[in-house]
Amino acid sequence: MGGASNLPPGFHFFPSDEELIVHFLRRKASLLPCRPDIVPTLPPNRYDPWELNGKALEAGNQWYFFSHSTQSRTSQNGQWNPIGADEAVSSGGRNIGLKKKFIFSIGEPFQSNKTNWVMHEYHLLDGNGGSSTSSSSGKRSHKKKGHSNKESSNWVICRVFESSCHSQVSFHEDDMELSCLDEVFLSLDDYDEVSLPKN
Amino acid sequence: MSISVNGQSCVPPGFRFHPTEEELLNYYLRKKVASQQIDLDVIRDVDLNKLEPWDIQERCKIGSGPQNDWYFFSHKDKKYPTGTRTNRATAAGFWKATGRDKAIYNAVSRIGMRKTLVFYKGRAPHGLKSDWIMHEYRLLDADDSSSAATAAMVTASSVAASEAAGQQGPEDGWVVCRVFKKKHHHKDTNSGSGSGSGNKKAAALRRSSSSPLYSSGDDAALDQILHYMGRSSAACKQEHDSPRPAPAQTQAQARPTSRYLRPIETALAGGHGFMKLPPLESPSSAAAAAPPNTTPVPETTMDWAMMDRLVASHLNGQLHDDHASTAVVDDDHRLCSAFDDGAGEDNDDGGLAFYSAAATRLLGAAAGAVDDDLWSFARSAERLSHHGSQ
Repeated sequence: MGGASNLPPGFHFFPSDEELIVHFLRRKASLLPCRPDIVPTLPPNRYDPWELNGKALEAGNQWYFFSHSTQSRTSQNGQWNPIGADEAVSSGGRNIGLKKKFIFSIGEPFQSNKTNWVMHEYHLLDGNGGSSTSSSSGKRSHKKKGHSNKESSNWVICRVFESSCHSQVSFHEDDMELSCLDEVFLSLDDYDEVSLPKN
Repeated sequence: MSISVNGQSCVPPGFRFHPTEEELLNYYLRKKVASQQIDLDVIRDVDLNKLEPWDIQERCKIGSGPQNDWYFFSHKDKKYPTGTRTNRATAAGFWKATGRDKAIYNAVSRIGMRKTLVFYKGRAPHGLKSDWIMHEYRLLDADDSSSAATAAMVTASSVAASEAAGQQGPEDGWVVCRVFKKKHHHKDTNSGSGSGSGNKKAAALRRSSSSPLYSSGDDAALDQILHYMGRSSAACKQEHDSPRPAPAQTQAQARPTSRYLRPIETALAGGHGFMKLPPLESPSSAAAAAPPNTTPVPETTMDWAMMDRLVASHLNGQLHDDHASTAVVDDDHRLCSAFDDGAGEDNDDGGLAFYSAAATRLLGAAAGAVDDDLWSFARSAERLSHHGSQ
């Protein structure tokens, strides 16, 4: 798989939000080659999340792909419903992108069943590599959409994974994995420790 | 292929060295042990005794990107002068094992064990706990695998067997370690070195028992135990003395002893008398005056009995009203070894081992000489079956 295959064992694709935008989404939107070119492009809403295996880049129980942002996020068997507030993604103190979160529900809208499938969809705040300030970036990027390359400005990069209590949601957020028991024993160590004499 | 890791980083963007446990054991550690060439010098050899955790990140940096965990090989050749335990002390502190060792499986079978250690600044037993955590991975050796066969059985004998096996584990071999800094999920008070913070302890215990972290079915039992502990904590505000007091400390320890009398009296007033009572006058100073090795055995068996009762109550939904003293646990070697630094050292992960580790740690400070916790613990356990107390 591209430049990844010659890495020794132990190296895995664990991109941060910032890396996803700076090294992948921005380059994609600017029609620059991604190095390594490992993240495939999939048509929007074509696949249910469990169909991504083999089509998107799989890394540590997460799937990555480029796509285009659409209004409706309905696939064959269900739809992605937004959860939580959008998060700003920043780099060097500047907001460069937006992270939207979705959860997949099976069935018709309004009578559907939630699943554990979660999607993070990353948008560029500024299609042109960050020359605008964040305050007015919304308007300006809309304008740009109007006349410059229409296609590239709504590129998104997506991370899809099945959330469960043990899945690694994101390298940066949940890396420090201590098992539940470890945590308990650690707190019991506190108990022990307080018990020691003070002299 | 050449990726310069230490000079210019050629690790492609988005990639990190974040090996799975299987990769650590089956690729890196196996190669290390077999003295095979490892393509890339991503994991360095480190003399754990000479490296403080806060220096590890500099020494074990991979590439230039941000890193949350660091890896190194370490050779477990240093022992404490007094015993067989691995010496993991540095100039500024020491690594102390916590919990029990966890077996690491690949798709097929057990491939190794993981020990969790916490870094304490200072010297035992006065160390100050830090947020630095180490996972130390070792390959499975013959003894470990033989104990694996019995691990499924939750019997005292299997625990004893695996414990015996663990004693002669691969003590002198290479291990591969991952070091990281613990994140705080909630506001933590563990830096509070406050002296008489029984309430703090209770709060900590309650917090853990109510935390959603522990709501999985697996931990329900422990949850329940912690819950009981939380309830009984009102009666165990007192501080404990060190589990193995030296005779020189006797004076200092005699003083707090008077405080211990109250829970004993209340227990007496409760009138259950399900245990043979230790002499009323200052049990802890009596024990403290004795040479360390003659710590009365019954006291160490009592907390096992308590634990048995709790476990029984959890498993059966009721307490057997048998006498605590009938639950004979002749395994006090195990108890002792769990007291000091190596708590959970080379433990197997049978269910009983789990409970015993928990019991040991909950009651550890009490078991050597002090009774108050035991009593309050006993009382809370007793309350489960009898309602007529006091």
